[in-house]
Amino acid sequence: MSGLYQVSTSPHTRGKLDTQKVMLDVQIALIPAAVMGVINYGFRALLVILLAMASAYASEALFCIAAKRELTIRDLSAGVTGLLLALCLSPSVPWYIPVLGSAFAILFVKCFFGGLGKNFMNPALAARCFLLISFGSVMTNYSVSDAVSSATPLASLLQDKTVNLSAMFWGSASGVIGSSVFALLLGGIYLILVDAISWEIPVSILVSFAAFIAIFGRHGLDPMYIIAHIFGGSAVMSAFFMATDPVTNPVSPAGQLLYGVIIGILTGIFRLYGSAADSGSYAVIVANLATPLIDEYFITLPFGYRKNAQVDKNVGAGRAFSPKMLGPAVSLFVITILAGVGLAGVFNMTRGTIEEQELKAKLASYSTVLTEAETFEYDESLNTAVAELGGKVYGTDFGRSYINEIAVGKDAAGETVGHVVSVTSADGFDGNITLSLGVGTDGVIRGIEFTELAETAGMGMRCAEPEFKDQFAGVSVEQFVLNKAGGSTEDYEIDSVSGASVSSGAVVNAVNAALDFIHANVG
Amino acid sequence: MARKTFRGGVHPEGHKELSRDASFEVYLPKGPMVYPLAQHIGRPSTPVVKKGDRVLAGQIIAEASAFVSANIVSGCSGTVKAVDRYRTIGGTYSDAIIIDNDGLYEEAPGIGKACDYRSLSNQEILDKIKAAGIVGMGGAGFPTHVKLAPKDPSAIHYVIANGAECEPYITCDDQLMRNYADEIIAGMMIILKLFPNASGHIVIEDNKPEAIAAMQKAASRIGNIKVISAPVKYPQGGERSCISLVTGIDYRISQLPADVGCVVDNVGTIRAIYKAVCESTPLMERGVTITGEAIARPCNLLTRIGVLCSELHEYAGGFRDGKQAVKMLAGGPMMGVAFDSLDVPLQKNNNALTFLQRDEVAEAEKIRTNCIRCGRCARVCPMGLTPQLMCMAYERGELDRFEHKFHGLECISCGSCTFICPARKPLTQEFKVAKAEIMAIKRAEKEKEGAKA
Repeated sequence: MSGLYQVSTSPHTRGKLDTQKVMLDVQIALIPAAVMGVINYGFRALLVILLAMASAYASEALFCIAAKRELTIRDLSAGVTGLLLALCLSPSVPWYIPVLGSAFAILFVKCFFGGLGKNFMNPALAARCFLLISFGSVMTNYSVSDAVSSATPLASLLQDKTVNLSAMFWGSASGVIGSSVFALLLGGIYLILVDAISWEIPVSILVSFAAFIAIFGRHGLDPMYIIAHIFGGSAVMSAFFMATDPVTNPVSPAGQLLYGVIIGILTGIFRLYGSAADSGSYAVIVANLATPLIDEYFITLPFGYRKNAQVDKNVGAGRAFSPKMLGPAVSLFVITILAGVGLAGVFNMTRGTIEEQELKAKLASYSTVLTEAETFEYDESLNTAVAELGGKVYGTDFGRSYINEIAVGKDAAGETVGHVVSVTSADGFDGNITLSLGVGTDGVIRGIEFTELAETAGMGMRCAEPEFKDQFAGVSVEQFVLNKAGGSTEDYEIDSVSGASVSSGAVVNAVNAALDFIHANVG
Repeated sequence: MARKTFRGGVHPEGHKELSRDASFEVYLPKGPMVYPLAQHIGRPSTPVVKKGDRVLAGQIIAEASAFVSANIVSGCSGTVKAVDRYRTIGGTYSDAIIIDNDGLYEEAPGIGKACDYRSLSNQEILDKIKAAGIVGMGGAGFPTHVKLAPKDPSAIHYVIANGAECEPYITCDDQLMRNYADEIIAGMMIILKLFPNASGHIVIEDNKPEAIAAMQKAASRIGNIKVISAPVKYPQGGERSCISLVTGIDYRISQLPADVGCVVDNVGTIRAIYKAVCESTPLMERGVTITGEAIARPCNLLTRIGVLCSELHEYAGGFRDGKQAVKMLAGGPMMGVAFDSLDVPLQKNNNALTFLQRDEVAEAEKIRTNCIRCGRCARVCPMGLTPQLMCMAYERGELDRFEHKFHGLECISCGSCTFICPARKPLTQEFKVAKAEIMAIKRAEKEKEGAKA
């Protein structure tokens, strides 16, 4: 007999499941949502996903190297964070958003607290909130079909407008990359089936959220209204993928139910009285913070301590849910709800002013392009015409241009003096270009004004300079044509900003789309 | 309706195909026989032979030294070579009686004498069981005559024969039930005679259809013995899992099965009871499975307790292709004990020797990650514990929380949590250490109090 034998204490065998496979399962479950995102929003969505994942892996690898730790990226958990974050981003965000977001999630939320399993809140959600706070304007621009005053389905819902439920279900409505409710449900059910998440959390979130909306939503038990709320604002994403991150949710089934109800109700509060679109994210983060406390009070008792156990008379029977838990449960619940109400209150106090400011800015831009108007009004039939476009690309000849809204300008006497159209082109060099176009009743174009322009400084940004944009004013033409060479002589010719033909082209397309819409819909 | 089972549990690979259909071979050892004095739970036995004595097969060579202790019987005839320290399968050294086997197997007088248990009083039955040195043969090694003498025999309502054999690889109970069903049923009837209010239940996992059929056939003539086929799930063969399956009762670690009206015995133990009472044959022989990918000829043996493992290893053809095993286990991979030398004797409670080609523990070390709090450990724990919280408490040195908040002492070390853990945390292993530390502190406190008083 030669070599030595291995000795260790039992058990000597192991199951097949390891951390890598657990993480892979979550990513498999997210594939449908990612695929729907790419189908609905195109290549850009794929780019955002890849950037976020690459940045997540790179951040973790760099941290491990810098901290002289074992390289942990092969557990694939960074991929989950990157993918989750990407699916919570608008497809039109600039490249640095997913990169920064993933780096923040991995470094600040995960690695600095001890790496995998040690973070106290969901890294992807924390990063999303970080981005929302730091890069508010680019983050809330659910661009491709929304800009300026138009809105996500959720915003419409809150304004009592009707929403397209089937678009929300398949994910073709405006919003984040991972907005397809169908795909998310598919992935969530997969996770429950492979035993990666428990049913307690998603079910308690959705049920308590639906109940909250039914009670406080002022629509009673209208099922369409409740379903629209569940489908909107990444509630499904939160319930199945964010809240269920095992690292940051309670251990015991009873604790998980309480956690779910807290999230459901907070989401409802934030949704109805606070920041609508991100309600789910903030609710989960608040509940994440309550998790250690929930775990402290909600401990599953061993079988021998439960109700049906036969125990010594002097020990007394225990229960799975002891009444002793009731006190902490109620206080935890009240504390989180109070925190939620407080947050929503602060938001509401500031919201009035924010909206006023936004409206002012909008009206100011309308006034510059239709100076003779004293007031602006909406016309019902014109609004219907906009709504009928369904947030889709307008026409076939204008690139990816979207009509946002149309307002009617009136003079002091109440006579119609012209119209202003807000239009967005998604073909800008660095994202969206949104502008307002004013046309008088005489058909003469009064001018254009940009409300969203984030092109390259010194190049595309020069579209905003009078030299370029004044070319549109004071003429009466059906459609403009871009002249890249410069030196135009005709009214309908527009000289391109030199070195920025993409931006210039997008502007011309947007203006042409707006003109076409006016000609088609205004007497 | 879903079939009854216990809560929790895991599904390790069975590997039973290696030896499940290998019929028992009777093997009488040729070499020396070694009997450690501590091969049961309780106080080590007291030797009643000395160096140079001639002993016969079936002769008592060491006597129970306390209430919880057991006799030891020689399995061969020969001369006592020494009473000395000898290495045991558990890795420690224990005082042992070493016998030079003369190979004659000359039996002590009275062995094999037929006896009708119905003519015996309950005390006479218990005396015979005690004299035969029977202890739990499923692994624990608790003296059977103590287990069968609870304070109030009329409070026992369930006598459970444990034939689940849920440990991977092991098949000797399967073979025992296929071949000695009548003897096991007779043993059950002896136990039932001790407990007038009890009914008999035999728990067998589904993966042993031949054993289920054999036991059902043997039990069909008896009114109050029922065969229960249980779903294949580890640890179905745990005492608590069997009781949970049969009665739905849960109880605490501070309680014994008798406190909840149950007596659970391994089928091997029950056959030994039959042999002791009806055939006047003490515990000399047991079934043992020699198995694993690293053994040339996996087999099931009926052999004598005290035989050296090296002899059994040789009988089973040695290592497959001459390639040494990576790991050797007494028992199966879930709860078995790893040993590192074949020069150790087979004990009363050893049901298998498993020779492994792979060390999954070493492989697991390589892919260990932090706990991801997935909660699978809590879902598989057959005791309803939450291993991840116990583990956190122990790693922080919070033994008090481990014991009182998370009830860590309820852990039965079945290994399910370690098996399932995707982060490959050595949970069971840590809990064993934690429990030992807590028990040591308790003992020290007790001694301190004793010193004061």
